[in-house]
Amino acid sequence: MTIPLLICDDSAMARKQVKRSLPDHWEVDITFATNGVEGVDAIRSGKGEMVFLDLTMPELDGYGVLKSVQDEGHKSIIIVISADIQPEARERVMNLGALDFIKKPVDSKKLQDVLKNYGLL
Amino acid sequence: MNDTVVLSNDQTDCLQEIVNVAMGQAGDSLARFLEVFINLSVPRIRLVEAEDLPQTLTEMVGHSGLISAVRQGFYTADDGNGLRGEAIVLFGDTSFKELADILAYEDDLDAQAESELLLDVTNVLNGACLSGIAEQIGTELAFTPPSVLGQHIAAKEVVTKDNLLWMQALLVEINYSLENRSFNCNLMMLMPEDAIEVLKFALDKLLEDFD
Repeated sequence: MTIPLLICDDSAMARKQVKRSLPDHWEVDITFATNGVEGVDAIRSGKGEMVFLDLTMPELDGYGVLKSVQDEGHKSIIIVISADIQPEARERVMNLGALDFIKKPVDSKKLQDVLKNYGLL
Repeated sequence: MNDTVVLSNDQTDCLQEIVNVAMGQAGDSLARFLEVFINLSVPRIRLVEAEDLPQTLTEMVGHSGLISAVRQGFYTADDGNGLRGEAIVLFGDTSFKELADILAYEDDLDAQAESELLLDVTNVLNGACLSGIAEQIGTELAFTPPSVLGQHIAAKEVVTKDNLLWMQALLVEINYSLENRSFNCNLMMLMPEDAIEVLKFALDKLLEDFD
């Protein structure tokens, strides 16, 4: 079954890095969002059953996206991929319902390990 | 504006992401140093003319209060034709009082203690941020010792056209602020024309990997 996957990051390079790190043969239908507002819109229209989410973004940041998803009760599985490596940033996103946190620049093996750990592959 | 120094959209995006990663590393260092949570915002990248820099600094600081500033030069260690530029860290006077408070300095700081504190924070930020940028583009940077440009001066007095050795520079601006406090400091990296060429070449190499 094809999974609607959303990659939400303001950087084109970061979006490409995430896309390239995805496992081969993983059946996903990818949507890109370039800020948090676009990200929330995509989730509302069912394009983000799984989400790779950046934190530092214009318009609405990743924390704001997590809050909206919580408030609106969407069942998205969200993995944060961010350069904000403060331990407290990780703690905050976990408290806001993120499944896990991966530091940037994203490493393909790390991303796939996370997916395997949670039985998402 | 000289066309050869203008970055393409792809180059700007690539640099922005590199700076973002480095900013996160520096933010983490600062957070550990001060034992606080640092709010990060999206780094800003643009070209500036030397004569416009005092005005740019005033806008960047965003208030008319006095500031203190530290400058540190950087260059690639291996040869003389690499990346080079200077980093200037700006602290508003209110931020400065908070910094002393956070670090539990007793009473009033004298000018000497203040300047030490400025240099300490600058070292923490520049070390992590500039090295982080260099590492991602596959080079290593050396630094000149940081020097205090001025204490309790107006933003427009930090640099004047006459003490700059370039006409145009690439300005990378990073802002660090603390939650629930008014502390705010700006890190600006300035790279002159020849360094921009080196940087563009490095960015293009990275971008090739993504085509």
